Amino acid sequence: MSLLIFLPFITALFLFVVKMPINAVKSVYMVSTLCVASMAIYFYVQFDPSASMQFIEKHSWISQYGIHYSIGVDGVSLGIVMMNALLMPLIALGLYKQRDKKGYWIHLLFVQGGIMGAVLSLDLMLFYLFWEIMLLPIFFMIGLYGYGKNSFVAIKFNIYTIFGSLLMLVAILYLAVSYKEQFGFYSFALDDLKNLKLTTIESLLVFSGFMVAFAIKIPIFPFHTWLSDTYRSAPTGIVIVMSSLMAKLGAYAIWRVLFTLFDETSHQLAPYFIGIGLFGLIFFGISAMNQTHLKRMFALSSASHLSLIVVGFFIYDIYGLVGSSYLIISHALSSAALFLMLAMMYERVQTYTIDTLGGIAKEAPRFALFFAFFALSIVGVPLTSGFVAEVLIILGAFEYNIYVGFLAATSVLIAMLFMFKMISAVLYGDTNERTKNFQDLRVHELMALIPLALLILAMGIFPNYFIKNIEPTAKAFASNKEVTRYE
Amino acid sequence: MSNEFIALAVPAILLFSALFILLFGFSVHYTKNRGYFITLWTLFIAFLISANGVGETFTLPILPHIFNSMAVYDAFSATFISLFLLGGFLTLAIAKSFVDHTDFFTHESFVLLLFSLFGMVILTMANELLTAFIALEIASMSVYILVGLNRNSLRASEAFFKYLLLGSFAASFYLLGMVLIYASVKSTNLAVIAHYILSTNLEAQLLVIAGSMLIMITIMFKIAAVPFGAWVLDVYEGASFPITAYMAGVFKVAIFAFILRLFLQNFIAYEALYDPLVIGGAMVTLIAGSFLAVTQNSVKKMLAASSVVHSGYLLIAFVSIGEATYSATSAIIFYLFAYFLSAIGAFGVLSYISKGSDKPISYDDLNGLAKSRPIIAASFTLFILSLAGFPSTIGFIAKFYIFTSAIEAGYTILAFFGALAACVSIYYYFKVIAHLYFKESGSVKSDNGEQFSLIFIVVSAIVVLWGGVGTSLLYDLPGINALNELSRYAIGSLGL
Repeated sequence: MSLLIFLPFITALFLFVVKMPINAVKSVYMVSTLCVASMAIYFYVQFDPSASMQFIEKHSWISQYGIHYSIGVDGVSLGIVMMNALLMPLIALGLYKQRDKKGYWIHLLFVQGGIMGAVLSLDLMLFYLFWEIMLLPIFFMIGLYGYGKNSFVAIKFNIYTIFGSLLMLVAILYLAVSYKEQFGFYSFALDDLKNLKLTTIESLLVFSGFMVAFAIKIPIFPFHTWLSDTYRSAPTGIVIVMSSLMAKLGAYAIWRVLFTLFDETSHQLAPYFIGIGLFGLIFFGISAMNQTHLKRMFALSSASHLSLIVVGFFIYDIYGLVGSSYLIISHALSSAALFLMLAMMYERVQTYTIDTLGGIAKEAPRFALFFAFFALSIVGVPLTSGFVAEVLIILGAFEYNIYVGFLAATSVLIAMLFMFKMISAVLYGDTNERTKNFQDLRVHELMALIPLALLILAMGIFPNYFIKNIEPTAKAFASNKEVTRYE
Repeated sequence: MSNEFIALAVPAILLFSALFILLFGFSVHYTKNRGYFITLWTLFIAFLISANGVGETFTLPILPHIFNSMAVYDAFSATFISLFLLGGFLTLAIAKSFVDHTDFFTHESFVLLLFSLFGMVILTMANELLTAFIALEIASMSVYILVGLNRNSLRASEAFFKYLLLGSFAASFYLLGMVLIYASVKSTNLAVIAHYILSTNLEAQLLVIAGSMLIMITIMFKIAAVPFGAWVLDVYEGASFPITAYMAGVFKVAIFAFILRLFLQNFIAYEALYDPLVIGGAMVTLIAGSFLAVTQNSVKKMLAASSVVHSGYLLIAFVSIGEATYSATSAIIFYLFAYFLSAIGAFGVLSYISKGSDKPISYDDLNGLAKSRPIIAASFTLFILSLAGFPSTIGFIAKFYIFTSAIEAGYTILAFFGALAACVSIYYYFKVIAHLYFKESGSVKSDNGEQFSLIFIVVSAIVVLWGGVGTSLLYDLPGINALNELSRYAIGSLGL
């Protein structure tokens, strides 16, 4: 299990130290990420849906403060682990021809390790460590390989997110110290800290410390101002990582940390967050509609879907939980694929602006097919995985409150609006001198996209096979809640 | 090795070596290189000897029948002595390249360096106010001169006079404070003072309280806490890089050794009186330091200003000593270690790339360093990350201890404040990294300078990394736990 985290780090370090030609670097990258992917698949097959936390490893790290290196996986985190493991080699396949800098691949490996660590860790200090570590490669990638005012954006993004993280750090320390006061020894393990008794004010403050950090990462409504700059400046590899993995990690952390530790508080605050989430869903959707820059549009659209994920989590019943976990995976797949295709398009036409595009379908039918498919899978057309997830969340929302359900259902339509508009503008219409002779997808690009498409279809047609791994975890959690729900 | 031997050998080695170089300097056989290596070996041997004393709890008055127990060698002083001897050694080792490129490192400079370390050793062992004062002045006087070492630089001379004037002025507060304490206690021995404080009522202690406050002023001046740290920018800028590193990293450790002993043994009773003042001081130091650091455009000045912020973090832990004695004190020790390692590394890199010129290095001078010298840039990045308290470096663990001790003592708001200052620090520290990696430079630098310095820079960088993740799980090397253990022993020897 630890290899999943450390293999990328070790490979990255190896690549940093050893001088080798760029093709060899890419091969080493592929080998390493494929190893991680196959290990992740092995764990997926071995995964026992009925047990909650498994493959646990625990070692003492800083013993005076009771900090452990402890990792494990359950139904919800398994999805993100799989995504992290599978997307990384596919990114490389898709961008194979485009990126000839060694650092690019090294940093991607670092991000993979960092995200893996954050998802798997069960100790808050360890979680914090990985949570911060993954910022560093992102910072470097934006600064080194980004576009526009990239070093400004890199620093802005960094300060923004670290601000949240530091609040979280204080919150974590506060928890640990209170634990010591109540139980006599330090512990940062989630399992221990859950027994903590805090006053309302304390738990509100600590809760918001965590929440700010997560909200910035996701981003939830008032903390989204870093989003569009960063997505525009960041190179594709990082955009994919941010939208498919890092943002999901924020949503996941809400579930893993906040719901575990602050059961009651999160329950009481749920209506507010559902409200903010719904507002974000609509707000980001409408903002996306007005964008002419494709990357920004997708950035906002994924923010809008992430708000939906947050709503799903805060609905707090089994439909919401399963739906959100499912949406995490399916949105990761679709948005990764879309951003990859954007990068391929940019390589061909050197533009991201919608107005300058058009008629690609005539020139490149295969490209158009995949592009349309992924765009539709994001909005949740039936037969795609997004559909299953959204239906589940909306079901949960109706069960929670009819108005919430109604709002959630209608606002999903907004995504349809701008996606269709975008598809028609980009793929159809007349060709211009930019899109003339648009080269169709090459073999290595197809190799990257086909698995994603198949997976999306499979998840849309046979959801049961995938949900059965998530369901027990969610059920155990939701049934726990059911009792306290209407007290 | 018996502890008596260590206690006498360490200062003796430093002193004799200093005297030896002082005489040897006039011989025809003297070369700068020889002087340098004699000093370096002295520090190394002294460090090895003193490192034998750490790791157990003991207290040993040094030759009480001769010195009337004015100095005491215990695990506490052993730990600190080892710390700053290591710091001095690293500073000097990294400075090799700088020393080679300049001509103002005469044999007197090595002598002064050794004298100042001798002063610090005595200061750490001092069990009596007068001894402490003399030791402090030995160390300070040597450092004053080291600051003004480069006679041809106007900036250095200005820094020298400023530091000398303000430093002597600040020292007079100490004397006055000591006199006041003596007036009521009739002794300058720390144990006697502690006994007096415990055994008399508060009415009779007014002079002692006033005296302790005055002594604190001197200490605050020395660690450059706001509002007594007005000298720090100019002096750090004027001094040459190795000396700046020495002052920021090593000298501060020795001062804290004394202040901790003084506070833990004696003035902890006045904790309620002190706290509001120190809390205010910590906050003002953090705010003002952050402002200063953000506005600088020379990297050296920025590092100098940020050292004020680091004093602020240390003050946070200092406030918490009353309520969370153990964790706060070990947090301070760990933080000092982490800080001097990173600061010496960062200043060392600057001195390495400056090649002996006294031109202040601006952010733009760092442009493109990652391309021309990837290893130096990577080490520099590690030091900067550690200063910024980024996880997986030793600086993060240090901040973690500081904040934990603050929360444990009930000062959550201070921890929050520290976190904000850390967030601001991301800006000025990451600006350095951005310039290192993201900006192209016009000029192409090729030669790699002195290998010797490079090795020590890289070693320090690895230690910085190891200190952040180090665990006995991986190898049988001392990691984070081990340092913590050491500080426990050290505090234990103070008899708390």
